[in-house]
Amino acid sequence: MYKPLKTLSMAAVATLMCASQAFAGPYDVYKDTTLVVNFPAHPHYNAVMKILPEFTKETGIKVEVDQLPYLKMRERQTLELGQDEGDYDLIAYVVFSKADYVYADQLENLARYFMNPKLSDPGYDADDLIDGYVYNIGFAGGNKGYLEGKTGSLFGIPYGSETSILGYRKDIFKKHGLQVPANYDELLDIACKIPKLEPGMGGLSSRAASGHHASHAFLLHLAPLGGRIFDDQWNPIVNNAAGVKAANALKTIVDCGPKGAATFGFGEALGSFLNGDTAMFLDTTVVAGQINNPKKSRVVGKVGWAMHPMGVRRGSQTGGFGIGIPKNAANKEAAFLLMQWLTSKKGDKLVALAGGNPSRFSTHQDTDVNKKFPHMKTFGEALKHADPDWRPIIPVWGKINADLGTTLSKVLTEGLDTKQALDGVAKRTRAIMDEAGYYTWK
Amino acid sequence: MNYSTINRITPYIFLAPAVIIMLIALLYPLGYMIYGSFRDWDPSQAIGESTFIGLGNYISLWNDPNFHESLTVTLKFAITVVFIEMIVGVGLALLLDRNLRGMSLLRTMFILPMMIAPVVVGLIWRYMYHPSIGIFNQTLEKIGLGSVDWLGQHALMSVIIADIWQWTPFIFILSLAALQSLPRSALEAARIDGASGWQQIIYIKLPLMMPVLIVTCLLRLIDAFKVLEVILVMTEGGPGLSTEILALRISRTATEFRELGVAAAMSNYLLMLLLILTIIMLAYNKIQELQAVRLRMAAEKEVD
Repeated sequence: MYKPLKTLSMAAVATLMCASQAFAGPYDVYKDTTLVVNFPAHPHYNAVMKILPEFTKETGIKVEVDQLPYLKMRERQTLELGQDEGDYDLIAYVVFSKADYVYADQLENLARYFMNPKLSDPGYDADDLIDGYVYNIGFAGGNKGYLEGKTGSLFGIPYGSETSILGYRKDIFKKHGLQVPANYDELLDIACKIPKLEPGMGGLSSRAASGHHASHAFLLHLAPLGGRIFDDQWNPIVNNAAGVKAANALKTIVDCGPKGAATFGFGEALGSFLNGDTAMFLDTTVVAGQINNPKKSRVVGKVGWAMHPMGVRRGSQTGGFGIGIPKNAANKEAAFLLMQWLTSKKGDKLVALAGGNPSRFSTHQDTDVNKKFPHMKTFGEALKHADPDWRPIIPVWGKINADLGTTLSKVLTEGLDTKQALDGVAKRTRAIMDEAGYYTWK
Repeated sequence: MNYSTINRITPYIFLAPAVIIMLIALLYPLGYMIYGSFRDWDPSQAIGESTFIGLGNYISLWNDPNFHESLTVTLKFAITVVFIEMIVGVGLALLLDRNLRGMSLLRTMFILPMMIAPVVVGLIWRYMYHPSIGIFNQTLEKIGLGSVDWLGQHALMSVIIADIWQWTPFIFILSLAALQSLPRSALEAARIDGASGWQQIIYIKLPLMMPVLIVTCLLRLIDAFKVLEVILVMTEGGPGLSTEILALRISRTATEFRELGVAAAMSNYLLMLLLILTIIMLAYNKIQELQAVRLRMAAEKEVD
């Protein structure tokens, strides 16, 4: 009599266990796992810190954050990713690191995680992620090796990405009856009109200091004006008519800018706009949070936003950070779950409301987000034109970028002829590319 | 092992810990750097995975105009700052080598700049040089002299001024210590013989201080060749390459260009340059000492 009862009860327990397994949440297996992540000290990631407790509450997965200044972060990651077993389960990386990390086979290809039904959320809606950001920050192996394309795949997801946007002083524009510039001719014209209309005020504050600041500012204008650093065969074309036009545009902006503009880094350029010393600011969207912060800004409520002006095409910058899973991570699947949660519609909205940069089109259109940050809709429009190829993401870019930046600085401060300067950059770039093997197939 | 063998090896056993520490702490990193300078080495690679390229890094640097420019800037910067700092530092020490009321407070205040972290010094000067909110331009404009583009057209001069401000106290305290330890008898003899203040400085104080001054100058020169943070914060090497000294170029080569082998080769060039300077200065010091010994012996002979 007892034997059938025993069998029955065992069967019942087994059924219950199977049922509980069948109804287990996707996070249960990883409950109480502690993930160690490496994030930069950056406004977006400061916002991320505010929403991480929500993730732990929902999933039971704990997160320890190692937040470092971003240059330090890069050094640390270079050391960590080279080890057999790394300390980090998830890392944020700057867009340039993508080329180095993927080339050194240090980042996980995300295909096998998105293919795993136990990990991949069917409601994730990857198509809602901003195209330009995904191709710029997450993709590798496609066109040119660093873009989207039939041979490419995903190694990271944009998180804390940014594009360029034009900020302008509504009060100054209204006072002088100026129209918000829609194209480069209007932009340069107004930039040089402002110092005459408002003595002591510069037209547009731009970064221009020697090195990556000057190079960044030049590249901001190069893409919309129709230029590129290389053609499809890796021949440097930075010295063509579009390149010269972009460099001259930068020189005009600096000449009509605030005092000392030729030596401004990003901090000084932004500081000058926040201080009310210039009427326009053309740079990253990441500054939006500071403009209306009375502790940091003297132009609270006076700034309007418009799309990056058009040249022969629209082409705003793409940059910032992405998140990826190191090849030597200890908890890769749980790290994927965190990555998916952070970049999901819910996570993206939460981080946007906490003051971060959203990575999805839908978040830019969201009513709650727009109620809190009215500029978000304009940013969403600008993102449709974000250009993932506004600068090349190749391992030797650091060297080319430094040469471009120092040479442009000589144009801005020492009066070096623009064409001659860019010819020199093109010649040296060709030598660097040759040494790196880009002309092997010629 | 017999007694005499033990006796012979005892000194080496006592020396061994120091030698081992020196090998690990000094020679290993130096050897690593020299080894790395012969390789095409990316930071993502372990040094063993990098490719041996012989003197490739040294040759490419030798032909690199940017490296030449950096080297020229470094020489200009180091020679100018050390020359001015030596004159001002020794001058101040000669002026303040007396017993005045509040002198110890004054001396402490003089050495304050040296105690500030270089990054902070860079930031302070960067803001003082700021074109619109900086104290220099605001003052110049108030007195009607117009503003100066400090970190633009006069960037090298501006970083030189900041370095002089920070490091003159170093020369000052060492010179002061040297002055205060001079034999009083020589100075008193000179005074009795009717030597003027200037004569005392030129013929007694400075020659007697010379060994200390040479070491001080050498230490400052070595440091000036390696200064990084202040310039990095103030100008990031710009405009153009006008303030990009070698230490900054080495740092950029390693981090921005990701060429550790080239950075190591550049460090070795810098090391060789500093070694040559050190040898020249120490040789000069030795020659001076030998001359002094010869003079003394000649004088003693005359007395005899």
